Formats: sequence, structure tokens, C-alpha cells
Amino acid sequence: MNTVVEVNHLTKRYGATLALDDVGLALEKDVIYGLLGRNGAGKTTLMSMITAQAFPTSGAVKVYGEEPYENSRVLRRTCFVRENQKYPDGVKVGHALAMARLFFAAWDQSLADRLVADFQLPLHKPVRRLSRGQLSAVGVTIGMAARAEITFFDEPYLGLDAAARQTFYDRLLEDYADHPRTIVLSSHLIDEVASLLERIVVLDGGRVVMDESADDARGRAVNVVGASSAVEAFAAGREVIHTERLGRVASVTVLGRLEGEERARLAARGLEVAPVSLQQLIVRITEPGRSARPDEGRSRG
Amino acid sequence: MTNVIKVVRLQLLNRTTYVYMPLLILAGALLLALLVFALIPTSEAKYGFGAAGAPLWSFLVVGVQALTLTFPFSQALSITRRDFHLGTLLTAALTSGMLAAAFAAIGVIERATHGWGMNGYVTLPSLGGDAPGTAFLAYFVIAMLFFVSGYFCAAINKRWGALALIAALVGLTLVLAVVILLVFRAGVAGEVEAWLVAQGALGLALWGLALLAVLGLGSLAVIRRMVP
Repeated sequence: MNTVVEVNHLTKRYGATLALDDVGLALEKDVIYGLLGRNGAGKTTLMSMITAQAFPTSGAVKVYGEEPYENSRVLRRTCFVRENQKYPDGVKVGHALAMARLFFAAWDQSLADRLVADFQLPLHKPVRRLSRGQLSAVGVTIGMAARAEITFFDEPYLGLDAAARQTFYDRLLEDYADHPRTIVLSSHLIDEVASLLERIVVLDGGRVVMDESADDARGRAVNVVGASSAVEAFAAGREVIHTERLGRVASVTVLGRLEGEERARLAARGLEVAPVSLQQLIVRITEPGRSARPDEGRSRG
Repeated sequence: MTNVIKVVRLQLLNRTTYVYMPLLILAGALLLALLVFALIPTSEAKYGFGAAGAPLWSFLVVGVQALTLTFPFSQALSITRRDFHLGTLLTAALTSGMLAAAFAAIGVIERATHGWGMNGYVTLPSLGGDAPGTAFLAYFVIAMLFFVSGYFCAAINKRWGALALIAALVGLTLVLAVVILLVFRAGVAGEVEAWLVAQGALGLALWGLALLAVLGLGSLAVIRRMVP
């Protein structure tokens, strides 16, 4: 394991709002992270602090063991294009890419050209006149062609249609296979990006509520469906994160793994066990009124 | 240092902002002034300083946009605030040099042709053709002051909000008004005027250079802690 980013006790307060609350996180070399959470959970704030675009109220960020603030040595190994990125007045798409090329040592022009073709980006059109999707595509192109060792994508799919989003995911995986690097993908289209992600970090209300491998996260909860009485008996004493009832049938989502013999017992009682998608799990644990961390929940249950 | 030069290259990738636009505005305003001179049926000296002012005002807007639009992009390119600041001021200095050369040349032409043969002038007569070097320095400082004023005000606005900027500008105006009032109350207006005249174009340009240094360092202090 090779830590490239270390975040310790990071807190950011905007007036009365606590955007980040004592966040601790380590990012490893050559891993694709999903930074997930609701709007306003603190995803963009966290990425801004790691790249020294914004300043913490308290706590520390280290990138390659150094403070990133005004530190060209480590900053140039990172790239963070914001979801609402601004561009200089009057620049055309071609200018913006040429500008980025000046600053990223590992910039790959043939990859940039390919992405421009994939996204059908008009090189001679002023950035100001692009559609939302084209604007996202410019950010994606810069972020990918830069090949920075630590790359942040801030909801890079906004305004892109399903085909363009799939192109982004495909190109990202292809390029990552040839040029591994640390990638942080902030998203709330969780199921769509789930297959790309190796590790999941979930922020909720400015706190890290989940930080584990994608496989562990997927196995963290199960869905059990069957007759209400049997389902209730099963759920008793467990950490239930969601319940639905339809007539005499109930469905519960509970945290925790079910091992082989337990599954067999449920099957004998006519209960069906289904996996819970990452999106369902995250939606459930970040629902309003459910601020408890799943870890705490598990220790109680 | 290389990053500072790269910022200059970034700023100049789109030549419109720092090269074509100021020159186009200057040329357009000059032609308009000449047209107006030709339409005024008098042989008295005519002055169209607005023509010289037009590219300067547009340069103030360029200063504002350097901060509101280019600064956030520089952050996405992982450029330090210091490198962005130095590279941007260096770019502004190149444009100011270009404008100053144009103004100095226009001054020389106006002297040589007695105001384009119409006794009409767009450059300040006291900065005219007899000392093109001084004229160049004076115009350079004036152009830079326009740019840095826009840049500095935009920085204050972005960091602390519009209210802070208005308060700062109102405060500055009040301080200047009080100074002028005190000068008159103390009955030293004549001495102050004599001092200003004694400085000459060169002396005032050098004072302007000092003011520029203060504004340049002040704006760096503001953007050092600015968030895109």
C-alpha cells in the first residue's frame, strides 16, 4: 500500500454550516475511488481542500507527504476540474485544451484528440456557448488527458447523455488499465459508476460514513423478502435500514452478512434473500433522519 | 520561474484579450477622434483624450476578468496562486508596453504633424513628442494601474463580497476628499501644485510605479488566500 493523500481531522465551516466534520481519509496509489453522497454532503469541499483550492477551518491535508498549499511540487501531480469550472473570457474549446497541455507534464494529446472526437466537441466554439453536456465533456477531456497522478472528477457526467457517459466510463477504464493512477470520482449516479469503483468513500453531512472496498460495501447489507411474520422474526435484533410492506408480504434491508447456513434456514422458512445494490445501500444509510454510521449500527445490533 | 512564463503563454494563447482587443479599441477610438476633429470647424487646439482612455478602460475590465474567470481555471490546472499572479501581471506588463509604445508613437506623430494637420490631439501634450521615453514610461504606468485596479477590486469583491469592495472604494474616496480638504484648509494648495509640477511627467510616472508595486503586492496578499 502506498498512501498518496492523507487527510486528518479535516473540518470546514462556512458560517453556521459545517461542510466537513472531522474527516479522516487516506487515498492509495493507483486505486479508483468513488466519492459518494448526497448533494451538499461535502464532496466538492473535500476535493477542493485536497488540491489546496480551498482552505480548511482546521485539520491537515498531506499530498505525497507534503502540504499542497502553494506547493507546485505536489500540486502539479494533481488535477481537479470542478463541476462548475470557469474558463477564461473568450476562450474556445481548443484554447482551453492547449492551456491545460502547458501545465500537465504527462498530457497525452492523442488521448485528448480521441476524446474530442468521441464527445464531438467543437474546438472552435467559445466555451461560454457550450451546452451543459459539452462543458462537462471539456472537463472530462482535460481531466483524463492530463494523466495527473491524482485525478479528481467532480460529477463529470452532468448534462451528458447515456451514450456519452458510457464513453467516459469506457475510456476511463481503458486508459486506467494502461496508465494506472489514483482517480477520485465524485458521483451520485451510484449504480452507474459502481462497476468502475475499487473503493467507496461515502460522505454524509460532512462526515465519512463509509470507507471500504467496493466488494465489502456490496456485502454489507441484504434484502430479505417474504411473509411479514417471518420477515419480522428475522429482522428482530438486527439493524434494519429499510422496511417495505405490501399486504402480508414484507421486505427488509438489514446490515450485516448472511452466511451459508443462515441463508439455508431462511430459505426453509420461505424467505428470499437478495443482494442490495450499492446505490440502495448508500441511499438508505444517508437518508434524512438516519445519521448513525453503519459501523455504529452494526456494533449495536 | 518556468511556471510564471507558462502562465504568460496561457494568457496569450487567446490573443484577443491581451493583443487584438486593446489595439482594435485604440485604433477605432483614434479614427473616431480624427473624424470628430475634422468635423469641428475651428483652428483652435482640440483634445480628444477619451480616445486614449478607451483602451485603458477596456484594460481595466481585462484585469477584472483575469481574476474572475482565468484565476479559477488556473486552479484547475494546479497552478499556485503566486505563479498565476506573477504570470498575469507580466502579461499585463507586455500589453501595457504595447499600448505605451502606441501612445508614445501617436504623441510623436501629433507633434510632427501639428495634430494630424487639424490641431487635434488625443495624447496629453505634456507627455508629447519631445521625450518619447518619458511618455512611454508614463503611459505604461497608467495602463498597468488600470489593469491592476480592476484586478485588485475584483480580488476584494471575490474574497470578501461586493459590500466590502464598495466600503473600500467609498473609504478611499473619503480619505482622498479629506486630504484635499486639509490641503486647502492649511492653505498649502499652491505648494502642493508646485510640488506636482516640479515632479514632471517622469517624477509622477515613478510615483505611479511605486503605487503599482503597492497594489501588486496588495492584490497578491488578497489572492494568496482566495478560493476559486
